[in-house]
Amino acid sequence: MIKYIFRRLLLLPLVVLGVTFLLFFLTQRLSPEMRASLYIKDPRQMGSLEEVIEKYGLRDNLFKQYGRWLGSAVSGDLGYSQSANMPVAQAIKEYLPATVQLAIVTIVLVVFFGVWFGVVSAVKKDKWQDHLARFISVGGFSLPIFVLGLLLLMLFYGKLGWFPPGGYSLSTDVAIHLPNFHHYTGFLLIDSLLNGNIRIFIDVLRHLFLPALTLCIGSFALMVRVMRSSMLEELNKDYVRTARAKGLPEHAVIYRHAGKNAIIPVITLAGIQFIRLLGGTVIVETIFDYPGIGRFGVTAAQQLDIAGIMGFSLMVAVLFVLGNLFSDILYTAVDPRIKLND
Amino acid sequence: MTACSNAILKIENLQVSVANAAQTPVVRGLSYTLEKGKVLAVVGESGCGKSLHALSILRILPPGVQITGGHIIYGEKDILQLPAEELRQLRGHKIAMVFQDPMTSLNPIRTIGKQLTETILAHQKCSKLRAQARAIRLLKKVGIPDARKRMKEYPFQFSGGQRQRIMIAMALCLNPDILIADEPTTALDVTIQAQILELIKKLQMQRDMSAVFITHNLAIVSNVADEVLVLYGGYCMEKARCSELFAHPLHPYTKGLLGSLLSLSGEKPQRLPAIEGYPPAPGTPEKGCPFAPRCPQAMEKCFAQLPPLSEQAGHQVRCWLQEKNA
Repeated sequence: MIKYIFRRLLLLPLVVLGVTFLLFFLTQRLSPEMRASLYIKDPRQMGSLEEVIEKYGLRDNLFKQYGRWLGSAVSGDLGYSQSANMPVAQAIKEYLPATVQLAIVTIVLVVFFGVWFGVVSAVKKDKWQDHLARFISVGGFSLPIFVLGLLLLMLFYGKLGWFPPGGYSLSTDVAIHLPNFHHYTGFLLIDSLLNGNIRIFIDVLRHLFLPALTLCIGSFALMVRVMRSSMLEELNKDYVRTARAKGLPEHAVIYRHAGKNAIIPVITLAGIQFIRLLGGTVIVETIFDYPGIGRFGVTAAQQLDIAGIMGFSLMVAVLFVLGNLFSDILYTAVDPRIKLND
Repeated sequence: MTACSNAILKIENLQVSVANAAQTPVVRGLSYTLEKGKVLAVVGESGCGKSLHALSILRILPPGVQITGGHIIYGEKDILQLPAEELRQLRGHKIAMVFQDPMTSLNPIRTIGKQLTETILAHQKCSKLRAQARAIRLLKKVGIPDARKRMKEYPFQFSGGQRQRIMIAMALCLNPDILIADEPTTALDVTIQAQILELIKKLQMQRDMSAVFITHNLAIVSNVADEVLVLYGGYCMEKARCSELFAHPLHPYTKGLLGSLLSLSGEKPQRLPAIEGYPPAPGTPEKGCPFAPRCPQAMEKCFAQLPPLSEQAGHQVRCWLQEKNA
């Protein structure tokens, strides 16, 4: 197990190298002048273009420039993000926790509803419960996420006023920047509890709800499908018949026996979806004005903030490898037949 | 027929059908009485309805197959009319079952200890520890060495024979009145088969338990059964005491089955005799005796009309040849 994890972690630098080199190569398609002009804020300084090119060595060959970027990246310096107005590393540190928080709440909702709907769908196959569950999941899947997000926003914020939009309330924004609020983890949900401030916790949770619900409805259809078909397969297996023949109550047959076996493929799917959420909550973060890493990535891309783009993709690559590793490890916890050696 | 005072399970005119438009019958009017402490073997080729009749007793038929008529009487109650909760209390507690394939009949991701104790706890109020102690005793009894340690292991860590032993331990953990064994040795290799049979027979005798033994293997039957019921095309063809059936088979089908057994004594046959043809596929429209197309002694009447099940001195047979003699 340890050996397996170690070997998988050895892959990490390779993936990171590949991804970042590819991106770096693409940015080199821009001429040195174009890249240099990104550093210049005032049109009157255009004359100093040559100085900038000289200073940052923008005319050096690809490998030399990449080597330079890599060298400073390894030492923790990912450059300065023009779009976020702060060093890239600091931007990631600031925006990532909000997205991770959103992704965790979303994936918990997705797995919970996906498994629940999937099980009901399978157990009540071809009855109205099955049709309803499939209708809801496919309906959510078919709605574009920006339409869904706006609809939910209209309903829950505009009409009902139950849930607010945005990252957090102004009062929370002020409170978390006061010196007596300690940022232990960067995750506001956890930090607010550690600070003993339940008001902030509830505020953050309320702001999380709508974006999380939007993401959940948009992506739990696949989960329902996988769980349903996996459950149908398991329910037909011999051990389920044995469990019934032993006189176990029906809920134990369904959840303890068939359900636990059926959930194995769902774990892979949840792993993949979780990683995708980390890098792909851009639209939702924009609609709900949520201060996450997705919004940082998009802004960086729109403004040709090369350091920002490189930092963002580096982060996504690392998260991908770690996420996959994590779902592999999770497998062994559920399925005793899987052993992670060699 | 012997008096039914000793009867523990009584099946009356059981009908099982595939739930399609035609309601294809697979078990047609099967009746028998199982006596306390006795072993009844139900013998037949694949597709004759023997397994489905066994699954009907616990009402665990696969989806798409349903019981369309008859009664299964256990303890003055008709199992087919029992409400869900009473049925659950019966399953595994009063009537237990061992299945054909031990490789797939155990939950692959649950320790065998948990699978054993949950059975006990589903029917009896006792502490987890006591249930575990009981499970360990049972595992030892069915011949699993190192039982305490192996409680924490998963089915894939056991051999096929051991898994069937575990299945038997699971079936016996609540001292059921009746054990239904559905081809318990079919998936095992021959040397293990004998051991498993011996084990079932031993435990059955020790506990004075009744058993229904489903098999296609007549050689097995002679060792374990008190009574034998031959099933063909969903009909009971012949039923008699085991010794009687082997000594004086009346039905041509039974004779054919016995004739195709290898014997260690006597002359070596050129070729092992076999019954020509195949058993009828369920749903084949037919009048008359289902065995008639393969029967060497078939008469015109056999194709026209189903012979009745008649009985003489406890020996039941469904054949026109016997009707004539009677």
